Amino acid sequence: MIFSTTRHANNSDAESLPVGYNSTILKEFVDTLEDLEDAQTLDMGPVCQENITFFALRMGRHYVCDMFLRLKREKRKELQPGNGWKHLDYPDRNFDGIQLWDLCDHLEDDDVSRLVELCYTMLRATGLLMLIAFENKPASSIVNSFVIGQDYRVDIRPQPHLELPWEFRHNRALTSLLSNFTIVRSFRYHSGIREFLFKKPGGFRD
Amino acid sequence: MLKRTKKDENSTPNSVGDTLEEKPTPSSLGPTVGQERYSGEETTIIGERITIEGSIRGEENLVIEGAMKGTIEMGKHDFSIGPNGRVDGEIHAQNVSIDGLFKGTIKALGKVAVTKKADFNGEIKAKSFSVEDGAYFKGVVELDREAHKKSEATESPREPSSPEPAKQSVIPPNDVKMEK
Repeated sequence: MIFSTTRHANNSDAESLPVGYNSTILKEFVDTLEDLEDAQTLDMGPVCQENITFFALRMGRHYVCDMFLRLKREKRKELQPGNGWKHLDYPDRNFDGIQLWDLCDHLEDDDVSRLVELCYTMLRATGLLMLIAFENKPASSIVNSFVIGQDYRVDIRPQPHLELPWEFRHNRALTSLLSNFTIVRSFRYHSGIREFLFKKPGGFRD
Repeated sequence: MLKRTKKDENSTPNSVGDTLEEKPTPSSLGPTVGQERYSGEETTIIGERITIEGSIRGEENLVIEGAMKGTIEMGKHDFSIGPNGRVDGEIHAQNVSIDGLFKGTIKALGKVAVTKKADFNGEIKAKSFSVEDGAYFKGVVELDREAHKKSEATESPREPSSPEPAKQSVIPPNDVKMEK
């Protein structure tokens, strides 16, 4: 495992962030969706050029709605995160795949439930939901983007403009919040990163 | 206020459709065009206090620092929205740069670039795309997959002649625990 030496300027005790791993879940997510004709995917951010290009060159249509930045703005306005869900105004059964990255880590249970409900509605039957959860509390509240590189390598890039609270959940707590979905696969890396791939139940793509 | 970055006595002005509202503009509102981006090509700048509703068709580069609602047809020329610019509509151009507020559709023959200051809500069809971390972005991105495949095919013959560096797995197999 490689660890970055980058430290948050305001926190000299910050722990090193794990960087660089080959994502098995991401590969499965992409391999499955690439086989579909005109697959549509939704990335909930943070906005990342590498990721947008990666998916836009592989999927029929790639949607991006940076919910991290929207949540931060709602927080700044002292509004409930629920106000941010209005941005996810996509038609029902519109997507074959949704990437949440670690968005759930920055939401309380009620908001995760609402988000999962929206994802369920927006996904087609057999659609995939990919998410990441940190096992250890990050030293800083700065949000990271998971940058896709060659051969499904994922690197972490801090987003200094984004600071959000962090919530820890055990695997069981997380999967129970997504109980409407079928869990396809999950991995835990020694760095403390957990990856999950869920599938919307259904016999065929609707 | 319309400004040109390069004087040309013989050239004809842009055809600006429907309404063109021009108000006195302080001299402090200067152009904010990157010289390197537009060097060698004339560029028209629509100033911060200009509001246009309708369509613009141009044969040179265009920067909007003001507000525009409608269709912008720049053919093989570049189009930019400045930091204070606001555009709601459809843009057709060679390369497009968004530094301000945009809502609508962009069809670019080349690249679309969205900066971190941008507030983007719309659809992009382009050959290539870039966006800076921090951009307020909601959109659909469709890139020219055929052009990408062709460029990959063109590059591939070079690969066998140069030995590929050994791929380094940063996580050894035993570092991964399969839970289900």
